[in-house]
Amino acid sequence: MITKQDVELAGKLARMTVSTEEADIYEGQLKALFGWVKELSAINTEDVKLTNATLAAHMRKDQAVTDEQAAANLRAMFGEELNDQAKVKKVL
Amino acid sequence: MTIFEIIAAIENGTKTAEEITRYYLAQIAQKNPQINAFVEVFEQDALAQAKAVDAKKAHGEKLGVLAGVPVAIKDNILYKGHKATCCSKMLANYTAAYTSTVVEKLLAADAVIIGRTNMDEFAMGSSNQTSACGIVHNPVDLERVPGGSSGGSAAAVAAGMVPAALGTDTGGSVRQPAGFCGVVGVKPGYGRISRYGVIAFASSADQVGVLAGNVADAATVMEVISGKDAHDSTSLEAPVPHYTQVFTQDLKGVKVGLPKGFLDGLNPTIKKQTELAAQKLQELGAELIEVDVPLAKYSAPCYYIITSAEASSNLGRYDGIRYGYADKTAKDLKSYYEASRAPFGLEVKKRIIIGTYALTSERYEECFLKAMKVRELIKEDFKKAFSQVDVILTPTSPTTAFKIGEQDKNPLSLYLADLYTCQGNIGGLAGISVPFGKDENGLPIGVQFYGPILEEDKILNAAYHLEKTTK
Repeated sequence: MITKQDVELAGKLARMTVSTEEADIYEGQLKALFGWVKELSAINTEDVKLTNATLAAHMRKDQAVTDEQAAANLRAMFGEELNDQAKVKKVL
Repeated sequence: MTIFEIIAAIENGTKTAEEITRYYLAQIAQKNPQINAFVEVFEQDALAQAKAVDAKKAHGEKLGVLAGVPVAIKDNILYKGHKATCCSKMLANYTAAYTSTVVEKLLAADAVIIGRTNMDEFAMGSSNQTSACGIVHNPVDLERVPGGSSGGSAAAVAAGMVPAALGTDTGGSVRQPAGFCGVVGVKPGYGRISRYGVIAFASSADQVGVLAGNVADAATVMEVISGKDAHDSTSLEAPVPHYTQVFTQDLKGVKVGLPKGFLDGLNPTIKKQTELAAQKLQELGAELIEVDVPLAKYSAPCYYIITSAEASSNLGRYDGIRYGYADKTAKDLKSYYEASRAPFGLEVKKRIIIGTYALTSERYEECFLKAMKVRELIKEDFKKAFSQVDVILTPTSPTTAFKIGEQDKNPLSLYLADLYTCQGNIGGLAGISVPFGKDENGLPIGVQFYGPILEEDKILNAAYHLEKTTK
């Protein structure tokens, strides 16, 4: 059974602030939802194997960028460069 | 006007593309203040595109398939230089740096991109009430919701503000609002349409779909935007049929599956209409066959676990560094992240919490892994059913459009609005909602056809014939 503490912990893991008021709202709603999810436990999934698409189906060959302007445009978006490296914005 | 009428009018010279665009711009100006379907109208761009079509025609150049046809796009589809906000405060100032493949294809077909439409925040919702851009009102009854999450696209088409619009469908977000507003909504099978440039919610379920006034119009747009895309590795390498040429004379030889127990306990009016739809299909020559998809009823809990888990991952990028709102007042990295993620609305935060909780080491097996395994069994059920039939008939939604705010206190009942539609996303199926009658309050009822992956032609054909019986 999901508790208010679980809600707060999940919020923390997701790097979000969950207010007491929000945690109260979510707790009730998620209890109902996870009660519903619990119905899945009645289904026998012992022999079920998850299908994974073959990697080959999701591969694409590297393509050389022949448009030199495209690379220049990308570099220009960064503005300043130092030692052949693009400078990015400071976060804090 | 239908898309066919617009194309014919431009081709034979009775209307110019500019006149058509101005007509729809006037419709939007007149109706949008009450409905709130559009969050932005690209008036100048749209007129420039329309004039370019007219110039092409004047120079005798070959026109594209959708020449001069105005199309709206949901606010989670990128169009370079235009805002794409997912109707979230998180992306309030985001401007697309590139154009999605679907919009590129529309532009290549000479369509006119007329504006972006309202939606539930990050496509999470079934009523368009979670949008940071305000509630959308159902044009059929302004006190009711249009459905969601592509509620703006559905309402725009239903109100005659645009002949067609793109939406996205992760659990029914094209088909359910189409049903609520009385228009056609198509969700292709997984992989049929590129998602390059579509803001992700749940990657194993998201698909771009089409909303239009009738099946033939939806088929026309589907044909333009479908196909393999090198930019989206999940798009499938398969020929795209001429969807407007798949309509047969009748339904002789077509096997329609009626899933056992699907109508049990359903609203009597919707049940009656679904049964009537089956009867009409039989009269058109289709063979009705009862099929068994016993685990499909577990699609909704699987859906809410799997898509929320994927959302918790996909929406991790909105941290103020990579994407989204950035709070510059924070003193350290932890508070920076938390403050920068604060603009998420209540529903989005809730889904992220559900997903994060389901992925914790304590809950991973009983929640996420279990849902993934049940999903495999549901897919298997549908595969068996489609070995017996060509299409499956179901209601689109268990209710018609409800009143704004009516279901706010019981979100689980709101989640049940996706009961019949999320099966299609869990199974990766092709699905279409087509209007079929009205309830006692005059509200539209939608019925839905499912078909196997890459067999959109079958559902379009079945829906086309059913639609004809209502005209």
